Amino acid sequence: MMNESFLARWATRLLGVVALLPALAMAQAVPNTDAKLYDAAKKEGSLVWYESGPLEPMKDVANEFEKKYPGIKVEVLRIVGVQQYQRFMQEVQAKRHFVDILHISDKPSMDTLITDGHVADWKVPMHDRFLPVFRIKTHAYANYTTDNAIVYNVNKVTPEEVKILESSWKGVLDPRFKGRFAVSNMKCGACYASIHMFLDPKMKETYGLDFLKKVAAQKPAVYSEVLVGLDRVIAGEHDFTFWTWEGIANTKWLQGAPIRWVRPSPTPDFGNSWQAVSKYAPHPNAARLFQNWSFSAEGAVVLQEKYGSATTMSGVADKRKVAKESWYHPIKQRYNPDFVRWDSEFHRDMDLWSKVLQDAR
Amino acid sequence: MKLRFSAAGLLWVVLAAAVFAIAVVPLIYTVDAAFYREIRTGLSSERSLTAVVNVFTSAEYLGFLWNAILLATLVTLASVVVGVAMALVLGRTDLPGRGVFDLLVIMPMFLSPFTGLIAWIAMGSVKTGFINVTLISIAKWLGFDLPPLVNIWSYAGVVWVMFLFFTSPVYLFTVSSLRSMDTALEESSRTSGATAMQTLLRITLPMQLPAILSSALLVFILAAEMYTIPGLIGSTVGFTTLPWRIYQDSTSFPVHQAHAAAAGTLLLLLAILGVWLQRRITRMSSRYVTISGKGFRSSPLKLGKWKFFAYALVLGFILCADVLPIAGLLVSSLMKYSAPAITTEIFTLAHYAQIFTLQNMLDALWNTAWLAVLSGAACVLMGFIISYMDVRRPGRATQMLAFIGVLPVAVPGLVYGIGLLWVYIQTPLYGTAWVLLLAYIAKFLPYGIMTSRSGILQLHPEMEESARMSGATSLKVLQAVTMPLMKTTLIAVLVFVMLQSIKELSASVLLYTQKSQVLSVLTWHYMDAGNYQFAAAVGVVQTVMMLLLVVLTRAVFRVKLEKSVAG
Repeated sequence: MMNESFLARWATRLLGVVALLPALAMAQAVPNTDAKLYDAAKKEGSLVWYESGPLEPMKDVANEFEKKYPGIKVEVLRIVGVQQYQRFMQEVQAKRHFVDILHISDKPSMDTLITDGHVADWKVPMHDRFLPVFRIKTHAYANYTTDNAIVYNVNKVTPEEVKILESSWKGVLDPRFKGRFAVSNMKCGACYASIHMFLDPKMKETYGLDFLKKVAAQKPAVYSEVLVGLDRVIAGEHDFTFWTWEGIANTKWLQGAPIRWVRPSPTPDFGNSWQAVSKYAPHPNAARLFQNWSFSAEGAVVLQEKYGSATTMSGVADKRKVAKESWYHPIKQRYNPDFVRWDSEFHRDMDLWSKVLQDAR
Repeated sequence: MKLRFSAAGLLWVVLAAAVFAIAVVPLIYTVDAAFYREIRTGLSSERSLTAVVNVFTSAEYLGFLWNAILLATLVTLASVVVGVAMALVLGRTDLPGRGVFDLLVIMPMFLSPFTGLIAWIAMGSVKTGFINVTLISIAKWLGFDLPPLVNIWSYAGVVWVMFLFFTSPVYLFTVSSLRSMDTALEESSRTSGATAMQTLLRITLPMQLPAILSSALLVFILAAEMYTIPGLIGSTVGFTTLPWRIYQDSTSFPVHQAHAAAAGTLLLLLAILGVWLQRRITRMSSRYVTISGKGFRSSPLKLGKWKFFAYALVLGFILCADVLPIAGLLVSSLMKYSAPAITTEIFTLAHYAQIFTLQNMLDALWNTAWLAVLSGAACVLMGFIISYMDVRRPGRATQMLAFIGVLPVAVPGLVYGIGLLWVYIQTPLYGTAWVLLLAYIAKFLPYGIMTSRSGILQLHPEMEESARMSGATSLKVLQAVTMPLMKTTLIAVLVFVMLQSIKELSASVLLYTQKSQVLSVLTWHYMDAGNYQFAAAVGVVQTVMMLLLVVLTRAVFRVKLEKSVAG
């Protein structure tokens, strides 16, 4: 018996070492500096990036990478939300590997991909400049923050009213705002973040379900697509959105739209889009080089300029045009979502929000 | 024992295998997905009835289904009444200008629902819609106050926008059938003393029943499975339809894929019922024969004093379905951002400049065009042969193929798309534009089958029998007799499928790669990111492209849809 147990133990250890060999070989094979990576990546010639942000800004980001590293073409495919996860997993199951870089707008999904071993363990050189809330082990990183902002039409909301809205999330309950704003019951991460905060058991006394009911009693216009609601605020159909996010508002503001935004405290602010290298990347060196560049100071500045959202990387100056505006105020106090509760309560909470809005009609 | 196959029979067997592989297998996968336990990212490997039980028995999901059925019924009724009325006016009367009107009446099909919706949001919003702003300004100029008259954010708004979209297919398929109809019975009716109206109601319309029913069924199914317009406008007035719930279940984390598949199956059952009913009603095919070997053409009905009403009907539709939304789209495309009116400050041509400098745009235009032409041709040919065998060689196998071939039309694209992805990812075609072609054929073959069937039902077999007695083979009969007689109907199907292919999104977005970009996916990326003005510009380009394709097709086939009965 002892002999059998002894043999079994050693056989298991041996198998473990054998199983680790490909990974060790990979670690040996992957160059460890950008210069070496670039040399290897040039031989691969291209990489495929499944991204979930707006197409044009992300193409601009890819173009900057191509300028920095000539000879490597970035093929950008916009595949959003759950469709990216499902497509990637179907490709994995069919052993048809196309993608090098994944960029998924759902943290629990990225967690699942990492746990299930579909994402390469690749620690970027600037790893330590990302707060733990913006990275998952040494596998995935969030490259920009998604916050919640009240976006208002400057021709419709007075400076005095702006102060009320900025003072607290409860400012919206002021009777003067009745019937003047738009909300959304869309099921998306940025749409849920504030609901998640309002229903946080720790904030039950301040907000909770009662607060949501009071918001609904203000008779807002309800949009199932959050960006249509924002579009209608820009047009002047409603005076403000209760809430969207800064990235999209900034894009519209740069186009000249008559909008500004405020972010009451605490402000939900989190990494919504997570980027990682696929374990099955057909262009592993180009993918790792792109990941390193994306999460470097240079990549962060490019993303900030092209996309308009604040970077998650610490120590990078906010060089966006909007940051120089007198009306613009940085976030005072962040609210970090609890992603375990997020994952379990998302649908229930959003269905509750829809019901509250429906009941108030 | 010696097996004997005619050439047509052999062709049918090949087609049956193709239909099974490209359309039915994804459908089976779609239905099968309903019977698994859900995990947050999709399905586990464990079987479960939870989703099916939830969807098929819960008041919530059945309520959503009821909302979809009610909406589809209202839209279908309105579309059939107006579409058939316009088909009669333009296909059977002496109204001047039919040639131009014909193209204008089918123009709403050139807009995708999403771009059309952008246009109607810009046109029909209460405070800032172009229509209300213009009317209120005119009233003010005339010295009185006018409240906003139009509100697209209402239940009526949903029905209105969908009605404008779905009237054109009813018109297209009915007018095609009317134009290929033998008028001998009408002539007999009129020589027996019946008035023009009595002839219309007692002879012409009943004879068109297969075409009207198949277009009504098509519209009902498409309206019942549409999620964009009811989803985006409906939420503001507090109603949810089943397709919108399917969209939510299948696109947001944690995904409810089994629920989406079960709800898709519910819509599939609805379609099965509809197709079965249609087949039952048109079972007595000889009752609907409108083209025989002894036909002659009569002169069109004279409208007389009714001309004014006919003009009002057609021009009113063209104003609401073409002029207003296309103007709205055009104005939106020239704006930097949304506003109640265009001013020099917000006027821009940048979106158009950007379109033609955009990476992949030329590839997307080229892919969209050839995919539309090939999928259109394939669906016409396959649909025609399947229906021909169904009607002329009725047997269990031929009828079953015709029946199951139309079912994919009922499953919402998002759910069916997952099935398509699952099947095609395992082929060498995955990653190329050819996989999109297969997906389009799978999705649009039902239109080919349904419409060809109604066309064949209206065709008397005596001419085919004569040809066969003269020694022609089955294929020769099809090529020389049946297809030429059905030319107008088949061209209508070709045009319709081409337009649907150009607008197709749900499968394309799941299957496209860098090498197989198409216009609809590019447009959607901009709309989804909130860049509605740029999407409007792409919508305008897309509309022009569809118009050119239709004109080109008509030139190539030398068939004018507007060809009058007077010839």
